[in-house]
Amino acid sequence: MGYTLNFAVVWANLPQLLWGLVLGLELAAASLLIGTVIGLVGGFLSVGRSSLGRFIAATYVAVVRNTPLLVIVLMLYFALPDLGVRLDKVPSFITALSLYSGAYLTEVFRAGLMTVPKGLVEAGKSIGLTRLQISLFVVSPVMLRNVLPALGSTFVSLFKDTSIAATIAVPELTFQARKINVESFRVIETWTVASAFYITACFTIVALLRGVERRFPKF
Amino acid sequence: MNEFLAEAWDARDAIVGGLLQTLSISATSIVLGTLVGILVGIVLVYGAWPARLVCRTYVDIMRGTPVLVLVLAAFYMPTVLAIHLTPFEAGVLALALFCGSHIGELIRGALQAIPRGQTEAAKAIGLTFSGVLLDVLLPQAVRSLLPPWVNTCVEMVKASTLLSVIGTGELLLRTQEIIGRNFLTLQFYLLAGGLYLVINFAIEQAGKALERRVAYR
Amino acid sequence: MLTVETTSLTPPLLQIRGLRKSFGAHQILKGVDLDVRKGEVVSIIGSSGSGKTTLLRCVNLLEEFEGGQVLLDEEAIGYREAGGRRVRLKDRDLARQRAKTGMVFQSFNLFPHLTAAGNVMLGLRKVKGMAKAEARAVAENWLRRVGLGERVDHAPSRLSGGQQQRVAIARALAMDPKLVLLDEITSALDPELVNEVLATVKELANDGATMLLVTHEMRFAREVSDTVVFMEKGQVSEKGPPSQIYGAPQHPRLVEFLRGTRDH
Repeated sequence: MGYTLNFAVVWANLPQLLWGLVLGLELAAASLLIGTVIGLVGGFLSVGRSSLGRFIAATYVAVVRNTPLLVIVLMLYFALPDLGVRLDKVPSFITALSLYSGAYLTEVFRAGLMTVPKGLVEAGKSIGLTRLQISLFVVSPVMLRNVLPALGSTFVSLFKDTSIAATIAVPELTFQARKINVESFRVIETWTVASAFYITACFTIVALLRGVERRFPKF
Repeated sequence: MNEFLAEAWDARDAIVGGLLQTLSISATSIVLGTLVGILVGIVLVYGAWPARLVCRTYVDIMRGTPVLVLVLAAFYMPTVLAIHLTPFEAGVLALALFCGSHIGELIRGALQAIPRGQTEAAKAIGLTFSGVLLDVLLPQAVRSLLPPWVNTCVEMVKASTLLSVIGTGELLLRTQEIIGRNFLTLQFYLLAGGLYLVINFAIEQAGKALERRVAYR
Repeated sequence: MLTVETTSLTPPLLQIRGLRKSFGAHQILKGVDLDVRKGEVVSIIGSSGSGKTTLLRCVNLLEEFEGGQVLLDEEAIGYREAGGRRVRLKDRDLARQRAKTGMVFQSFNLFPHLTAAGNVMLGLRKVKGMAKAEARAVAENWLRRVGLGERVDHAPSRLSGGQQQRVAIARALAMDPKLVLLDEITSALDPELVNEVLATVKELANDGATMLLVTHEMRFAREVSDTVVFMEKGQVSEKGPPSQIYGAPQHPRLVEFLRGTRDH
């Protein structure tokens, strides 16, 4: 075979890889936050009384979930300037990933809202709370706790999707790994280590999330 | 708008060619992935512990790694191992392995969700293991598997875009090449996005029709 | 319970006139008339499908109704006249009306993310605009009255069914409603927990609360009510004091119904 494993180059570049990992986590966190806001709006619209609202939410979800993330990322970075909006790489990617995750989170929150027992809404009505107050003080707290597991797994997915930022030269983990690979030709070592980083990070996040879910079990 | 239509017509061969490549990549990955997935799923439920360990490791590695990393690794690694794969082959290999891990998990879940009583009743009438599996368990599992499997198909179509990164001539790469010539960036990206939407919608509708057929049996 | 003063010429607190409601093609309420005076306790009994729960839920408009009127303290609930047509009230006005009644549900419906005190305080703070400390004091007072002074900061998941229902009663009453609606409040409870809840309700009745309840508990209805109403197929078949309903029932269906129940 004539290929001997030599991890030296990879270890020499460890800082870059780690910074890339951290950047990936930051991108995922930012997108989750913005995506959650979008998802809450979308979720409430989906179960709301306005048929226009339900239609908008459903269309948004259908369009975004059926479009490849890479297409959305490239479109926002390369095509938006045609409309006069020029974003830097990182904001552009975060916008793309937020829009993408917003669609998935809309579905998560919609399902969460539908599992809140109707009796709680009636109890809120019976003490004279308005619809807005019931949404804010009764339905949302219960729903948010119930969707915690789904939010967690969405974060893990988003973190893996941050690898796509490499295609527009955002220096996250995949981009760093490819750089090392191309410069050193240490193919197997580079990709094994990169993969190991992702897997370890994902497993750690999942373990942490499980701890959080145990602390805040579903109602 | 007229300029766009003219350019689109000029580029129709490239667009259609890219579309066909996308469909080819997706279909091949799905078929291979489903075969692998069925095997992995069955092993995860019924296999001896060494086989189960291997499959578990395979699934965990695939699911913890981003698809793009798998695609890049599949592209770069074979050369140093003196294996020659075209970008298409490397990409499909990566996608098929990824797809297989997803479907393996789906099948594991579906099989484990069937009540034990079904297996016991099947054994009681004298069916062998393969009989139990093929005639009793899998038919029931199929019904609950269809929607997530259709979902996986859509994910594979979306993942095919990643092969543009390693130079496979599918729809997205062709779109980028066209844009490189005429700079109608927004229009052609919208066209590409629209085509992906159409493909995935079609898959979902076909899936719903299939679900209806399976439900009446 | 009623005193002599209240049975005078003042109009009843709750007046239901000709109430009609259908679920699709099926007419559940076929023109119901009912009065509840201030301080009175009225129980509604009847077999399932008689419309008694639907009637109760129309009073605070948890169910819409197509015909008739519900008047609370002379104010029409849920709808108003506008140019000869009946118009449904807006959410804000409905909420204001609902704050005047309190409801206790069969399945308690406590807010799981709030403690017992939190459940009672929510309405006080968000609807009545009380400050936190004041609301807390009122909540603790009510929880003590229903015998849960020790469990003020317990989450609902740590309370038994009977305790949860008593918190629900405190939650409804802390809002100082003119009328309390109780919808089969013991039906979902284990038998040994039923008595603590009934005892609480009896105490509140003795303290002068105006209550309209739907119940299966015949003995309880007999002990606590001023008036018992028997409903059958969406209409009031017979009504009168407990002594008459249980001692000398007139309507043949009522006789049959009473024979079918275990204890009265």
